[in-house]
Amino acid sequence: MPKDQFKTRLQIAKEKLSKKNLRDNSENTTSIGAAFKLSTELVSAVAVGAIIGFILDKTFGTKPWLIIIFFFVGVIAGIINVVKSAKKMQK
Amino acid sequence: MTQFEVYRIGPEIKVGTFDVSFTNASLFMVVSSLAILIIFNLGSKKNSLIPNKIQLLAELSYTFISKMIGDTAGSKARPYFAFIFSLFMFVLFCNMFGMIPYTFTVTSHIIVTFMLAAFIFIGVTIIGFIKHGFGYLKLFVPSGVPAVLLPLIVVIEIISYLSRPVSLSVRLFANMMAGHTMMKVFGGFVISLGIVGGWLPLSFSVALTGLEILVAFLQAYVFAILTCIYLNDALNLHH
Repeated sequence: MPKDQFKTRLQIAKEKLSKKNLRDNSENTTSIGAAFKLSTELVSAVAVGAIIGFILDKTFGTKPWLIIIFFFVGVIAGIINVVKSAKKMQK
Repeated sequence: MTQFEVYRIGPEIKVGTFDVSFTNASLFMVVSSLAILIIFNLGSKKNSLIPNKIQLLAELSYTFISKMIGDTAGSKARPYFAFIFSLFMFVLFCNMFGMIPYTFTVTSHIIVTFMLAAFIFIGVTIIGFIKHGFGYLKLFVPSGVPAVLLPLIVVIEIISYLSRPVSLSVRLFANMMAGHTMMKVFGGFVISLGIVGGWLPLSFSVALTGLEILVAFLQAYVFAILTCIYLNDALNLHH
């Protein structure tokens, strides 16, 4: 087979591939990945906030107060996390 | 459940008070690392123009990861390619080896995933401080916030930064563990319903196996892509 012919055929095949399959596939995987990402992001910030509150409570001896405050701060942080990544996705 | 049990293989080894004996978990980590080494050595041995199957596999995974890094972290993240590639492959192979019956899923234990995530978290933080000095702390102070709200916002940002390794590790661990438990439960239904009603859970089990293979790949992908995103925050600081 002459080289030029092979090259043009390769070009056409590559274009087809990049147009159809690759784009569909990558968009699908990234959107499922994003869904998994959002679900844990909300929870983990709450957990981290509560843990920080617990540790601070132990060191300062202000038993129930800091854990309550940091729990709610963690909730806010979780919501902000989700909003941020949702904004990133829309770009 | 027996499939999540860690037991010792061979003699007990102790360093100080720590038990560092070789367990079945370590065995499967070694097995998956060896499998990666063998596959990629075979794949890069002969650089033929028309690749054979193993070479195709190696090349496809190379381009896949390289494209992912380029899309999410930009050209500055190029030097970290080797790390992200090995991370992705390790998690992927651990997940996939866990899909074989009678094997041990390393990633279904939170300590393993948390150590990986903590390593990434500390590494990314160090990279950020090296690249930007104390300017990296600007990550916690978003621009355009009124001064009254600033203390609260900084605390919130710090918590959300600290929650990264937690969410990274819990996601991988929970997905692997939940999937394997679910398959076990459906397998139990097959036994208890017997030959009359056992066909329905059996078909569910087959479908779940397919789903679990998808999840195994996807979680490795998410783990790698989030590492890229965190790396991107550390390298290109502009919020």
